[in-house]
Formats: sequence, structure tokens, C-alpha cells
Amino acid sequence: MPILHIDGDAFFASCEQARDPSLKGKPVVTGKERGIAASLSYEAKARGVKRAMPLFEIKKICPDVIILPSDYETYSLLSKRFFEIVRRYTPDVEEYGVDECFADITGLLAHRSLGEGGRHSYKGMAEHLQQTLTRELGFTFSIGMAPSKVLAKVGSKWNKPHGLTVITQDTISQFLEKLSAGDVWGIGPQTAAMLARYRIGTALEFARQTESWITAHLTKPHIEIWHELNGRSVMPLMLEEKTDYESIQKFKTFTPPSTDRAFVFSQLVRNLENACAKARRYGLAARGVGIVLRTQEFRHAGCEIMLERPSALPGEILLSLQAAFDMIYVSGTQYRATGVFLIKLAPERFDQPDLFGKILKALNVRKVYDAVDALNRKYGKYTVGLAASLKAQQFAQHEGERGDAPIRKHELFKGETGRQRLAIPMLSIKI
Amino acid sequence: MPSYSELLAATGLRSKNAVYKIVEKLKDAGLVDKDVQGRLIPGPRWNAVRLLGTVAAGWPSPAEEELLDTMSLEEYLIENKEATFMLKVSGDSMKDAGILPGDMVLVERREEARNGEIVIAEVDHQWTMKYYRKSGGTVQLIPANAKFSPIIPKEQLKITAVVKAVIRKY
Repeated sequence: MPILHIDGDAFFASCEQARDPSLKGKPVVTGKERGIAASLSYEAKARGVKRAMPLFEIKKICPDVIILPSDYETYSLLSKRFFEIVRRYTPDVEEYGVDECFADITGLLAHRSLGEGGRHSYKGMAEHLQQTLTRELGFTFSIGMAPSKVLAKVGSKWNKPHGLTVITQDTISQFLEKLSAGDVWGIGPQTAAMLARYRIGTALEFARQTESWITAHLTKPHIEIWHELNGRSVMPLMLEEKTDYESIQKFKTFTPPSTDRAFVFSQLVRNLENACAKARRYGLAARGVGIVLRTQEFRHAGCEIMLERPSALPGEILLSLQAAFDMIYVSGTQYRATGVFLIKLAPERFDQPDLFGKILKALNVRKVYDAVDALNRKYGKYTVGLAASLKAQQFAQHEGERGDAPIRKHELFKGETGRQRLAIPMLSIKI
Repeated sequence: MPSYSELLAATGLRSKNAVYKIVEKLKDAGLVDKDVQGRLIPGPRWNAVRLLGTVAAGWPSPAEEELLDTMSLEEYLIENKEATFMLKVSGDSMKDAGILPGDMVLVERREEARNGEIVIAEVDHQWTMKYYRKSGGTVQLIPANAKFSPIIPKEQLKITAVVKAVIRKY
């Protein structure tokens, strides 16, 4: 049964090159607003630029580099299109990340979207898909085709960019002997180190272990990987769109760093509002909230609070959040980022009465948030929010050069606003 | 109306007797009837019931049914959603085709064009939007403005997209 893993090549940088074809063939780096490289084009990679490298360092080794602010709106639009195109070939698609997915194409050779050319083999089908993605989206993807997810992932990484690597039951060992066990998807450094102590260095040596040895020394996730490496598919594709979150986190950096207590708190509250909005969208409520403050020296302070009742209503959580913030905030310290984690999520419900009638009040607050969500949907996010996050709204998230907004946010069409734009990616070509 | 053997094939049932039972039920409900030779004909209630999705009870409003045959402006303008991008026009070389500076054009990303389509292309390292004309072996890019002359690619012609619609909001 052929499973595909399809991986966008340098996804964010490629989105930029697709949006503006004059960037093709040039070293492009995204992440201007963060001060470090978030994604880099293959041309930048060839010049020695690495991910997470500070921008000033990049300019030294690659003076003609083009540094762009992240345009997550365009990346998200193109990511959705990527999955939709794959779904033309098979309904069985697992969206694994913004830039990668798994697809099961078993038994779909006669699919009408293929035309005559693609129908002869599964490889032909994968080639057809790869060409369609490149033609319609304007950048390349690498594909691995194999009997299992773990092997398909080995395949897509094998020959980047624009590679198509087929691994069959008969050729598994040729690939795994050249791959170290630690490079297999799902085997972390801890496990790799443990395997090394038993003189298991390559993925092939790992795959060749007996089942009794594997079950005696490892736990379920790694036993599954062992099966998958041997070509036995035991990890099903997760076909549902993810609506079931264990936790939701919102973490944001701001520049310049700040010692202003009210400003830092407002950043934290904005993260709370964003996280709660996402929880409400999925009908979830949090039993606990974690907060973290990051200083300019990358030191972290954090704490966790339990809520009296599960909630996704910032107005209800605010007082507890304030108390937690007061506990960890240190005056005079320069902070650069705040984060909020909603934890122990469960379906939101209002049917458990309590002694003090809090539930009745919460029900009313919930109605307020129905209106808030409707307003923000209609007029764009942050239209209505808590006064406590106002300071975060009043200032650009990043001042100075890092505050440059992506072109999409200021090259507007009549009727588009700073808050809401058409859900179609824009080509930046001057004609 | 279908024959019994056609119904047999369509339902996947094993015997005509099973088909017969279903037909009898439909007959009881007044949906079908039999003519003198026993062939199926529409019954008195044929066409009276509108099968509309999963509307379980009540009559659908006429508007609901008629609107099934309409499309949204988005569906009208965009054929291949995944390949469609928007682009802001800055020059006036296509003004006689009704495309003015500031207009939005919806373009479909592909690398080949048919004769007469308006293309977005890179010609000898310059980006342009023009009519694509191919006659014999030569390609010309034709403007829709007397002030401009047709372009004949010398070194390179790379089509990026084809214009599918122009939108101007007042």
C-alpha cells in the first residue's frame, strides 16, 4: 500500500518566491520581525545561511540577501491550497504541518484527475501530483512514497528539493543502511543515545533487531516505528482536521524589549485573548493556565494556575492571570516575550452549578463573548478586547526596521482594510 | 420508468422478487403505478415529493430549491481555486481591453497559454501583461493600447499566469 509524504521545499521562502517571481533564484530569508532566519531559500542555504541565524550575521556572509517579514496570511492560504490539491487525488490526507502532509493513494490509480499519462503506476500518480503542485502554486515539493508513514518520511527527505523517492519492500535496506537511527522520524536524541549503547547506529541496524529485543527494551511509540521501518504500516493516517487539542499556546515576542509593567502585562493578556478565542472556536475550556515571561537575556519565569471552573473567557480568567503575573514579574527587568498556555482542555460546558452562583455569571459572560466573537469575525481580530490588552494594541508589535509589515498588509485593494483582506494570495509583479 | 431487470441491476438486489416488493411499496405510497401490461408508470404522487437533501419534514420553500442552481460571485469568477492569484495592475498597456491601472486581475497560474489569452509573462527579463498571439512558429505579445508596440521575445519568454477576470470596485 503506497503512502506518500509530501513536503514543501523551504516552504515560507518558497511562498515568497511564488508571490514575487523576481525573487526566484535569489537568496531569500524570512523572519525579519523576529531578528532571526525563520525560513531560507535554497539559494540562501547554498551561501551558508542556516535556520535561526541572526539577521546581522546573515548580512555579513551573504550581503545581497533579501530579508522579508513573515507573511503568515499568504503562507496559510498557500498551505490550504496545497492540501486541497492533494485531496484531488485522494480523500485520505493527513495534514501534518503547515508544509507537509501524508496521503494514502492505495487503490486510486484509476482516478479521473490523473488523465491517461498518470494512470499506469503509483509512481506516475505521484509525479502527476508533484507537477500539479508546482504548476499551480509556483514552487516545488519533495515526495516520498513507501509502504509506511515513517518510510515515506525517509523518502521525502532523501533528495530535496523537488525529489521523488520511492521505497519499496525490496529496497528498504538500501535506504536505512545510509541513515542514522537518530534521523528517523520519532526517534529523539535520548533514544538514539540509548540505542548507541547497544551498538545500534544506523536505522537498518535498528530495523534488524528481533521483535523480542525491541519489546523488551522500548515502549509503544518506538515499537511502532520499528514495525514501520520494516515496511509494516501500523500508524494510521489522522484524517480528521485537528479539533481536539490537549493544550493551546500563544507566545509572542515584541521589539524593543520593555520594562513597562503595564505593557508587558498587556502583551500577556493579548496572548490570553488569542488562546481563549481559539479554544472557544473548538468548544473547549481550560482547567488551568500557564504563563511565561522571557527576559532579554532569554531567562524564563513562569507559573501555572488552576481555575475555579474550566473557562475560555478572558474576562473570567483575568484576575487569576493578574495574580500570577504579579508573582513572577520583576521590576526593572527587560522582557522580550510573553506566553500563555491553556492546559487540561475539556469541552466547554455550563451545566455544573456551584455553591456561589459563579456559573450564572459565567453564562452571562459567555453571551458577551458570543457577541465579541461575532464582532471580531465581522470586523477583524482585536476589534473588541479587554482594556487590559489595549496597550499591546496601541503599539506595533515590533518597532523600527523589524516592524516592516509584509507587502500584503499595505498594498490593499479598494474595500480591503488593515484588518481584513481577500482570501486569495497576491502576486507582486509590476505590470 | 425502468424495467424490473434494470431495477435489479441498479439496486444490486439478488432477485426480481425483492425488486417486486419494493415496487409494491412505492405503489402503495402512490409514487408509481402499473399500466395494463404491468410496466411501471408514474403514480399520482410522482413529482409531488421533492427530494431535497435531507429535509426530513415539511415542504422546502421554493426559494431554497431554486437557489440550488445558482452560483456565488466567487464561483463565477474563479474556476480553479487553488491556482488563482490576484494581481494589482499598474500600467495602461491593456486599457482598450478594459484593464486599467489600479484594477485587480484574477490570474490562473500555468506555464502555457492559448492563442488570444491575456498572459502575465517575463519577456527578456521584463514583466508584462499582454495578449498572447501565436501564428506559425512565432509568438507575439500584443498590447491593447495604440501607444505601445507588440513585443516579439528575443531571448526568453516565460509565462507565469493567464488572466481570467478583471475586478474594479467603485
